[in-house]
Amino acid sequence: MSATLELPDYRAQTPEVAARFARLRERPVALEVRNLTKIFDSARGPVTALRDVSFSVHKRELMCVIGPSGCGKSTLVRILAGLETSTSGELRVYGEPVSGPGPDRGMVFQGYTLFPWLTVKQNVMFGPLVAGRPDLFAESEAREWIDLVGLSKFENAYPHQLSGGMKQRVAIARALANQPRVLFMDEPFGALDAQTRCKMQSYLLDIWKNVDITIVFITHDLDEAVFLSDRILVLDANPGRVHEVVEVPVPRPRSEAQIFDPSFMATRKHIDGIMHPPGQEQKETPVMRLAVSDPDVV
Amino acid sequence: MARPGILRDWFLIRRDLPHRRRLALAAVSFLLPITIWCVVSYVPWIWHPDVKIELSAEREGVTTVFTAGDHVSPEFFPEFQAAVRAENKAVLAAREAGNPESGAKRKNQKLLRQLAPVAIGNGWLAYDDAQNDAVLYPLWGDLATGRKTAAKPALTAENLQIVRANWELLAAASPVFAFAKLPDEPLLKLIPQGRPANPVYLPAPHEAIRAGIRDFTAAAPAGEPTMFERYKRSLRIILLGFLWSCVIGIPIGILCGVFDFFSRLFEPFVDFFRYMPAPTFSTLLVAVLLAGDAPKIALVIIGTVFQMILVISKTTRLLDPSLLEAAQTLGAKPRQILGRVVIPGIMPNLYNDLRILLGWAWTWLVIAELIGVKSGLTEFIETQGRFRNFDRVFPVIILIGVTGFVTDQILSWLHGLLFPWAGKSGAFSRGVAGVVTWPIRMVAEGARERIAANEAYSRTNPRDKTR
Repeated sequence: MSATLELPDYRAQTPEVAARFARLRERPVALEVRNLTKIFDSARGPVTALRDVSFSVHKRELMCVIGPSGCGKSTLVRILAGLETSTSGELRVYGEPVSGPGPDRGMVFQGYTLFPWLTVKQNVMFGPLVAGRPDLFAESEAREWIDLVGLSKFENAYPHQLSGGMKQRVAIARALANQPRVLFMDEPFGALDAQTRCKMQSYLLDIWKNVDITIVFITHDLDEAVFLSDRILVLDANPGRVHEVVEVPVPRPRSEAQIFDPSFMATRKHIDGIMHPPGQEQKETPVMRLAVSDPDVV
Repeated sequence: MARPGILRDWFLIRRDLPHRRRLALAAVSFLLPITIWCVVSYVPWIWHPDVKIELSAEREGVTTVFTAGDHVSPEFFPEFQAAVRAENKAVLAAREAGNPESGAKRKNQKLLRQLAPVAIGNGWLAYDDAQNDAVLYPLWGDLATGRKTAAKPALTAENLQIVRANWELLAAASPVFAFAKLPDEPLLKLIPQGRPANPVYLPAPHEAIRAGIRDFTAAAPAGEPTMFERYKRSLRIILLGFLWSCVIGIPIGILCGVFDFFSRLFEPFVDFFRYMPAPTFSTLLVAVLLAGDAPKIALVIIGTVFQMILVISKTTRLLDPSLLEAAQTLGAKPRQILGRVVIPGIMPNLYNDLRILLGWAWTWLVIAELIGVKSGLTEFIETQGRFRNFDRVFPVIILIGVTGFVTDQILSWLHGLLFPWAGKSGAFSRGVAGVVTWPIRMVAEGARERIAANEAYSRTNPRDKTR
């Protein structure tokens, strides 16, 4: 990137974008996190993974959580999904305090976690069936969700017959079929190759456009965060704390071409600066000069 | 590509061989030990440390009696022959001196029966008819006059001469057997014959096969079960024992794997108990459950169930915990997680565990059949082993092996059918299962053809449908 290019301030919003954020703020709060703290007991004494994390996500918002490794993103989302308990703090979904896992908060994992003994359709039917819906109803509903993620042809395939991207689409359909009020996605595209990841990001936006769902998306990929989000929650590491909530000024609908928009690049640069402060760069990428014996390389 | 073809084709580091080569090697892995067995048995100069007696003789004043089929050392055998020759010399000397021993009718009758193993070997006499003097007596004549020639085993020239010499005396007395007309003076004894043989514990393949066919086709001695009844009884004990083990072990194992509560409650004791060898409970079991099959089944259960609980609880714990988390986020309650995630999720591994445990159960079966009143195949092995009839023991041991192996291969093949999502079954097990299920598939094929023919008929004759 040439230094001559002047980027706008990441806070500068066009009137349309500003209006959109105004509307977003008026919507009810879907998820409210207040003073969430998590302290692990390790052999070397207590370790604070998260300290006083507070934020709120509005209805139909897509919020990404980003931060350097070790900032507790995964711990945060696992607490939100009820898979881990917090040491202190409060968690509300549409104003109601929640604890423990429940069908109101869906989750898509990085490792797909499809049930390998069930077909695509049966996987998607899992949520409705455990909720006590009749078979036929669950089946027709599952078909709709599978259709939405574009896998109708594979409804009777087993997970091991699908590619990584297809598996993750099934996992999304399975989570959505349960009609959760908030959907958590824990680095869902982290295991996919770059090309598939790009496609999956567009897919996700398409799905999100058509479904009334609030999404909290954990990622360590800056471009992914900026491309997907309404707002980005940037976390600090050691202990995990909220550094800033960035409103992404890139207008919607998003397209891949927008990654060259000045607003996109400005946001990206700002968050990059938070995650990799200029002074710390050296520390994070130690160069093993001693190990290199080839004089041409040294 | 400098490597010669054979190395390139067959020896590849961490690379699977083509299907055909794999099958060929699987066949060779069985042919190899069989070939070794055959070579050791049939090529005389490889081993053969014993002499197997084909024709025996009793010695005067020696209580140790060898019968045909017995093994003696090659050092002793010439001594044995020399002793008998010396006796013959004494008889001839007495005869020439004109004062032969008298009152030897009983001895002579026994002596005539020396030919019995030769007669049986050549098929002139039934296997269990060695004392049929009426058949044996004229046989001496037939051999002496050359009407019959012994082939398997053949008589040595020395023995043929003795046969002729004896027949001279016998023919003078009577052409057919009559105890009263047997010569009063002693006849000459046949000199023991033998051939190099392997130790008695390694019968040649054909001997084992012959003994096996005889045992499995012949009617059982009175009061004893036939081989198939024994086989059925053994199978029944192992199946019942294993089934009860599953009924007890699988639920406890799964509960231990899922709930820490049950794990802490059961596993310490189970872990301790499995170190107490099951056979040590045998007398206790017989005292509690009395004779019959009950203590045997109980022994198989004791031997199997404790291992089963530990193995299954471990398998259950190995289930990917993220699947449980996924189920939780989908709203599944603990009971639903158990029924819809844990149990179906561990099924393929649990199934394989059971296959291995079934193999162990066979080991316990052998011990179980020896406690209380001995029964089944093991009782046969035990009894025949004591008589050193190892040619009859081998087929039974092999039968147990084949049963276990074929069962396991079929179960392995079924694994592929039952759990298509957990990978295909191996080609070898498919091959074995293909052979075993052939009759069933033929019947099914026939039924399918008949249905197809009926359908074709009703298509061409639509009116039939209304009937």
